[in-house]
Amino acid sequence: MSLKAFKRALWVYHLNTGSCNGCDIEILAVLTPRYDVERFGIMLVGSPRHADVLLGTGPVVKQMVPRVKRIYEQVPDPKVVMLVGNCGIEGGVFYESYSLAGPFDQVIPVDVYVPGCPPRPEAIIDGVVKAWAKLEKAEQGAR
Amino acid sequence: MFEAARTILRQLFLKPATNIFPAKYAPPSVLLLLERVARQEVKLHPPVTVPPGFRGKVAYDRENCTGCQQCYKVCPTQAIQWLPDEKKVKVFMSRCCFCAQCVDVCPVNTLAMTGEFLMAGYDKYAEDLVILDSGELPGSKKRKKPEAGAAGQTAEPA
Repeated sequence: MSLKAFKRALWVYHLNTGSCNGCDIEILAVLTPRYDVERFGIMLVGSPRHADVLLGTGPVVKQMVPRVKRIYEQVPDPKVVMLVGNCGIEGGVFYESYSLAGPFDQVIPVDVYVPGCPPRPEAIIDGVVKAWAKLEKAEQGAR
Repeated sequence: MFEAARTILRQLFLKPATNIFPAKYAPPSVLLLLERVARQEVKLHPPVTVPPGFRGKVAYDRENCTGCQQCYKVCPTQAIQWLPDEKKVKVFMSRCCFCAQCVDVCPVNTLAMTGEFLMAGYDKYAEDLVILDSGELPGSKKRKKPEAGAAGQTAEPA
């Protein structure tokens, strides 16, 4: 499968699975004129079916598990899953909570991790660069 | 009346508010750009400078740590693992909540928060996300070395 069209102008679907909203605010800060990832063509979209990247925040609460799986399957292939914040990565302050179904990567496969609580906007852009690099390597391998 | 004209003229000569980290536009090939950065042919635009007292990645002075376990006990996310054999700790940045309570509680100042925050990666237990030792820190209290044989006659009073 060609990744040529996928390499640029990533469209992002933002999925909150019980986050405290700290990371969500940083994701919005990335889109503001101060950091402005729209200059790279990155845009938030309202439907997972339009998205190239699934951007997850928050630990996965038990109620969200079927939804997370369904949304993951709705994102068309090829896709990248990116986690922002330590809640999704390892549970963070919610670790071992009774209502959690474990960190994100126990529910769906994850490609890029962005640690931070919340991460600074530049750290999120750094994660985007890492995702680009991974896609390009995948394309070179597929050739 | 000329307020708008004045504002427009001023805007023309102002620098844009956008911080162009890491580059102004997406390069045609990210891998190529990263390669050229590694060869120091091009420079990336630096991120916005962090404020004083910023709580970033943890630094740990393993040498001077006394193994008192206070950081391990105070950590609200259990990001610090106690290593009973070596009587030292290990800090997992992918679990840390950057509260700096371990830094405040450490009696010998062997933990510190650095200004580093670019930690994105493909592995949450990558080497740079598990802090084992970051060398000596400027504020850490040095441990008294055990007497070291013939060459150990130090000038310091006991």
